[in-house]
Amino acid sequence: MIQVSIENNFASWRVAARKCLQKEIAPDEILWICDGCDGFFENDFAAEKTDEKIYKVSPDFLPLAEALVCFNDACRFSLLYRLLFRLVHENKNLLHIESDDDVRRARLMERAIYRDVHKFHAFVRFRSVNIDDKEIFVAWHEPHHFTVERSAPFFIRRFGAMRFSILTPKGCAHWNLEELRFSEAVTNQVLPPDEAEDFWLVYYQSIFNPFRLKIKAMKKELPVRHWRTLPEAALIPELIRKAKELESKKRF
Amino acid sequence: MELVRKLEILADAAKYDASCASSGAHRKRRNGGIGNAEGMGICHSYTPDGRCISLLKLLLTNVCIWDCAYCVNRKSSSVQRARFKPEEVVKLTMDFYKRNYIEGLFLSSGIIQNADYTMEQLITVAKKLRESESFGGYIHLKAAPGASPELLLEAGKYADRLSANIEMPVQKDLDRLAPEKTLVEIESTMSDIKSGIDAAKNSTKRNGDAPLFARAGQSTQMVVGATESSDTIILHKAESLYRKFDLRRVYYSAFTPIENTNPLLSEPPTPLMREHRLYEADWLIRQYGFTASEITHGARGENLDLEKDPKLSWALRHRGYFPIDVNKASARQLLRVPGLGAKNVARILKIRHYHQIKLEDLAKLRVRLSNAKWFVITADYNPSVYQLDAEKLEEKLKPKVFQPSLFENLSNAALSGEL
Ligand code: SF4
Repeated sequence: MIQVSIENNFASWRVAARKCLQKEIAPDEILWICDGCDGFFENDFAAEKTDEKIYKVSPDFLPLAEALVCFNDACRFSLLYRLLFRLVHENKNLLHIESDDDVRRARLMERAIYRDVHKFHAFVRFRSVNIDDKEIFVAWHEPHHFTVERSAPFFIRRFGAMRFSILTPKGCAHWNLEELRFSEAVTNQVLPPDEAEDFWLVYYQSIFNPFRLKIKAMKKELPVRHWRTLPEAALIPELIRKAKELESKKRF
Repeated sequence: MELVRKLEILADAAKYDASCASSGAHRKRRNGGIGNAEGMGICHSYTPDGRCISLLKLLLTNVCIWDCAYCVNRKSSSVQRARFKPEEVVKLTMDFYKRNYIEGLFLSSGIIQNADYTMEQLITVAKKLRESESFGGYIHLKAAPGASPELLLEAGKYADRLSANIEMPVQKDLDRLAPEKTLVEIESTMSDIKSGIDAAKNSTKRNGDAPLFARAGQSTQMVVGATESSDTIILHKAESLYRKFDLRRVYYSAFTPIENTNPLLSEPPTPLMREHRLYEADWLIRQYGFTASEITHGARGENLDLEKDPKLSWALRHRGYFPIDVNKASARQLLRVPGLGAKNVARILKIRHYHQIKLEDLAKLRVRLSNAKWFVITADYNPSVYQLDAEKLEEKLKPKVFQPSLFENLSNAALSGEL
């Protein structure tokens, strides 16, 4: 068993994985350790010069690997290496067999990342804040996976003419109209109020149709764990209560 | 009236239009501008009715000179009235958009004075957003039936989507409930929109540059259950609209009687499940190569089965079509298997290059086997398929507990006025 220690990003895993592959180290021989644990790899192995052998794997593998690296579970690195190893040594078409256990697991994890990014784009709620006479749009969001880097470019494409900062417990992204900067994770932030949010809350209540209560359908798309960062979610229990009241009133 | 009160009234009045889509538009943000569209619309929130909030959905005004019986905003209804100034809608849209609450605006209106005047008001808002605010987000405008082609052309320059609501599948229903409206007029509005879209597409092909015209196409809505028209009639109408006008979507809105509902509407209340089945059937028509007659022909009665989804009902009526061998069948055949969706069909086609597909593979792909297993042959032994022709299969596929919507009771009460 060897320990391979890497940083929590794709580039770092990729360098390490290529070296392991060159040495033909089997997947179950490796213990992947992420973030600064000193293992055999960093001390001895990384310094070694190996001739850069290029491995050609299915082009589907790279985007899959890039997504999986964001997954919030240590198992991701070993799963990725096992897939890579099997692609090289067992079947280059492995990724097409979606009923294979490893492939299936990887695809499920990949889907979870897509969903996390999607919800990131959907659920960030900016407040307009004045700092040094500049309007900055600031948001506090809690992604489940390491998706800050993946999610940030969307906000520049859309809001590139606004200064913004997105703060999360998995890292922060800042846009100053010119460059995108990432910074360390922060803990829960309380932001100053923003009047527009009051209008949003009024809109949310008014567009709700109490005659069609479908709580399960809502929770499926608006998972409860996101509620604490969404201002409108605070209204949900009361809206449900009133809708139910309406129902029982009308029945008698 | 305060802006916040207007917002309350005019959002409330807009919520019966089921469309919340914001997909299909592609627009890069202008330099210095705010907003873009990237094809896939995003749902930024959900209300406890399970519906997505993607757009700021508003009526410019709920004042209306017409008197459609199914509509809260009709002339004779006693709701409180309000009217936005165009710049108020612009401000709300920009404020909401910049905070990432929405993808854009869906603006509709009661008929003020006449169709053209109404259309001009809607265009004013869209134009301000695009030109004064450099707004690049999504805009959906309602097309007032009978608005002049010139105005529709102008609306299409600013809007990503236009929609003229057909409301009812046959003229007889409109005569009864919306006497000012005719199918001929509404369809001619749809046809004007289609011409605009086609013209823009053709000139894109010729010149390469893309004049913008309702790039996300047009849609419409039918109110379901306010008249006797059956699902068969509704689905045939929808199919013909898809064919004639290349609609992106037909929305179905189960009629809910509310407070000051017109006494004309003494039909039994519409179960939400009926609306749901219509959406499923619509999906089969658009994505799975079914025709409206296949879905409705031979169904018991003129309406879709509320207990079973339309694909399963079709399969049970056409058992001779099955069993389907998942290792040999074409995509078209596989799409007809109950419980097999388009994504899994694509996966199956790939996997079978490499190995024979067994039941276990289907399970791993999360195919709904409780529906599918009766209709397929797999590489291993599938005992269920031998019951395909058994009379009691239909019984087996009945949901154990059929739960009619809680709100059927509610609508019943609302309708009979027993409070
Ligand atoms: S024209 Fe539109 S707003 Fe006016 S009553 Fe008819 S459906 Fe309602």
